[in-house]
Amino acid sequence: MRNIGDVLKQNLMKREVIISLVILLVLTYLAISYGLSIIFSTIIIFSIFSIVTLSLNLEVGHTGISQFGRVIAVIAGAFVVGAIPGRILAFLYGLPFGLEYADDSVNYKVVPLIHKILEKNIALALGFFLFCLVLAGLSGALIGWLTSRPAIRLSEAYLGISLLAFGDFFMWVGHNWEPLVGGTTAVFIPDPFRIVWGYRMQAVAFTFLAIAVLVYLFIERITKSPFGRTLKMLRDSPLVSRVYGKNIVKIRTQSLVIGSAIAAIGGALYVIYTGTCTAIGFTRLTWTFWPWAYMMLGGIGSNIGMVLGVLVLTVLRTLIILYRKSVFGFLLLWGIDPIWLEYTLLGLVIIFIVLFMPYGLVPEKTETVLPSGRIKAILESVRKQSSQTPENGLKSSLRLKK
Amino acid sequence: MLNIKNLYSGYIKLKILFDINLEVPTREITVVVGPNGAGKTTLLNSIMGIATVFAGEIILDGIRLKNAPPYKVAQLGISYVPQMGNVFADLTLRENLMMAGYMLSKEELKNKTDQVLDMFPVLKGFIQRKAGTLSGGERRMLAIAMGLMRKPKVMLLDELSTDLAPLITKRVMESIARLRDELGITILLVEQMAKRALEIGDKAYLLVSGEIKYSGKASDLLHHPELSKLYLGIKEVE
Amino acid sequence: MFPPWLAGGLVYASALSLTAGGITLLYITTRTFNFAHAGMATFGFYITYIFYSFRGGNLYQYLPLSFLFGSLLGIICYIGLNRPLLRRQASIVTLMMSTLGYDLILLSIIQMLCDYLSYTFKLYPRRVTMSAYDFKMFGTSAASIISPIIAITILTLLHLFLTRTKFGTSMRATIENPILASASGINSDKVYLMSWVIGGGMAALGGAVMSLTMTGTPVMGMTLIAQMFAGAILGGLESIYGGILGGFIVGLAEYVGIYYLAVMVGPWVLGYRMALPLLIMVITLLLFPRGLAGIQWSYLMKSIKRARKGVKS
Repeated sequence: MRNIGDVLKQNLMKREVIISLVILLVLTYLAISYGLSIIFSTIIIFSIFSIVTLSLNLEVGHTGISQFGRVIAVIAGAFVVGAIPGRILAFLYGLPFGLEYADDSVNYKVVPLIHKILEKNIALALGFFLFCLVLAGLSGALIGWLTSRPAIRLSEAYLGISLLAFGDFFMWVGHNWEPLVGGTTAVFIPDPFRIVWGYRMQAVAFTFLAIAVLVYLFIERITKSPFGRTLKMLRDSPLVSRVYGKNIVKIRTQSLVIGSAIAAIGGALYVIYTGTCTAIGFTRLTWTFWPWAYMMLGGIGSNIGMVLGVLVLTVLRTLIILYRKSVFGFLLLWGIDPIWLEYTLLGLVIIFIVLFMPYGLVPEKTETVLPSGRIKAILESVRKQSSQTPENGLKSSLRLKK
Repeated sequence: MLNIKNLYSGYIKLKILFDINLEVPTREITVVVGPNGAGKTTLLNSIMGIATVFAGEIILDGIRLKNAPPYKVAQLGISYVPQMGNVFADLTLRENLMMAGYMLSKEELKNKTDQVLDMFPVLKGFIQRKAGTLSGGERRMLAIAMGLMRKPKVMLLDELSTDLAPLITKRVMESIARLRDELGITILLVEQMAKRALEIGDKAYLLVSGEIKYSGKASDLLHHPELSKLYLGIKEVE
Repeated sequence: MFPPWLAGGLVYASALSLTAGGITLLYITTRTFNFAHAGMATFGFYITYIFYSFRGGNLYQYLPLSFLFGSLLGIICYIGLNRPLLRRQASIVTLMMSTLGYDLILLSIIQMLCDYLSYTFKLYPRRVTMSAYDFKMFGTSAASIISPIIAITILTLLHLFLTRTKFGTSMRATIENPILASASGINSDKVYLMSWVIGGGMAALGGAVMSLTMTGTPVMGMTLIAQMFAGAILGGLESIYGGILGGFIVGLAEYVGIYYLAVMVGPWVLGYRMALPLLIMVITLLLFPRGLAGIQWSYLMKSIKRARKGVKS
């Protein structure tokens, strides 16, 4: 085991800074070559997936739950926003709001009418937006609570598979049950950003990024708090936790509720951004596996690593989409669409991480409760003390056993 | 025959043994005794490649064994009879012996099986039954029989006397002594029931909390006034 | 001989039994939940499809080729991915994630293969109805008779392999007690390699059989992976026979069950067919965690025998 000195050194964020700088350079280059809209859409996607991945990290990295059903909470947020807020507005303004709201022949007429109302009324638009988020958060929390019931009794891989299967199931329900979110034909989401007319991209990017930052700060707060430390203890030594009287069931449930609420908000943001809610778009690939890849690349258990992972891979994916014709265009000679390489990339990334970087870009650090300055001071004073005591006397109590 | 130098070992990250120095001379019974949790099984596991060796050397007749996979160690002539999980419960007795003699040719397998069953005639009646249906003592016998199948140079025996009545323990120890005398097998014997083991042993080591606290002749340890009482619970020695 | 709903169900169930058996085998030997089963199954289907499209004849003759290709995919997975991780004593979740990565690569290759086939050879590999190339036998589709026979044959061959051969017995020994097996001189590396050969082969064979009743698509395996796992879980993840039986039951329950529900309440239920295997899986996990393997078969047999004797006298 390393000693305190090494731990303190490691907590400096050299690696993260370098990677962030590289990414910034790439983004600048892209902005210059392709215009700013690329940057904005990247920021939006980055924000949404950061939120989802941070929620995943809370459950997997900090609490040790095999959350292979992340898509469930995202769907909860997305579907709820697709099904309810629009209907409420429709009801308030005398438009059809019942089961027929989601019917494709009705929906595409109703929503533009709602837009006309939202355009003029900034308070309403803001209220609508916040209402969507709150609603999503609540439904996510509910889903999290429901998920916690099996999570208590099943372990590891079994839990993972069950959650995975449930994720698929909910997607199919949304796909088949038309009144919910239009089944196969999707439902339009009233757009609260209509107010900002020509600057929608920028407004959305700015808002979403702000929300992502808030989520990040919130999660940092939680994980560095006593609650967060309890989570880690639970993850590493469940038996010891029980001995210390920690209620494992309650704490895991709390973690799942918070995580799912956050993920649901991410789902809500996504449908608000795209303006539609299509059930079939919520595949496990996009909303469970990609977040897992982001998390693994970033380093399970590290919040800043999470963000870095999302950043790196989002930019990589954007690059692939942009350059697929030029770099991989040769594949078209055989009729092969280079878009499939995105799957290959994801597969290779996962395999690479698993084999060569199991701890990710930012390995989980040994947490220090006190700031590093104070720890150094304590070390110094103890060393001075022990050098003054007789030979077979005190051993420094801070010397960690090798 | 078997030399262990400055061994530090454990399981993945858990450290159990510290700076172990041990010699198992050829054709002798070397006994390792010590209280519960001392690391005796870990010592055997380290030799077999089941536990992780962090530092130090394990040398068998000049061949280095550090972290070699168990089947390679077995192929070099070391036969391990563990304390738990020492038979294949789902397999029949015959299949168990077949697995123990995995590296033997068909003829050798047949000869050895007959030989071993002659040594333990009780097992003959159960040859087609699943090993899991045997009683504890019978399982122990099967485990020893399996250990013998490979014509081992060295046998590592882990707490063979556990759960056995004292009289039977005496008999088991006597047969182990016979393995050394008649078959010339080198034996490393790990025991908690120290007295009987030390009576047949040549050399002895006392292992406490992962460290060797005593090494010397087995009879000396048996009669040692302090250590035998302190760690081994030996009250009187005849 | 069989009504069409049962015929399709038998093929579907046989295919699932093969794949679930493979998943169980891989889990009990290497502790790996093989996600790549999806890709291997789909590959199995495409191998049969490609050979049939180019050489024609009886499509059943290409099934063994699918098996072999699946074995090859399994070998690659073991040597490149699974073995290094096993040596590091990776966790179950890590092992599962690694097969997920492999599956995604397989999926991308399949998609690109489909692109290539449609462009160069003017085929339509993205929606294939292999059942159209099947023939009739005793008044029902040949598949409905041959598929269960294939499943039973594989089951029998496995049984003989595991009980009558030295290597097969060493596999059973390694499954039960890998440490003791290794200490006895059994090379676990060979055992694990063989389980990937068999498991991969069974996955591919299952995929090929599945295409005889379901529409073959590039994502066929991915769509069915949950059912495959459900079958393995029902089987109890302790013995291959449990997995094979579990897969068969899940398959039959889903196919026949949803048919009956559709008849009773209307065709709208068909979209929710996933609910049935999901239900089975959840019930098994929460109420009977050891699945079919938890049932004391020998005890059951003895009770039946005793009851019979009682009736007679």
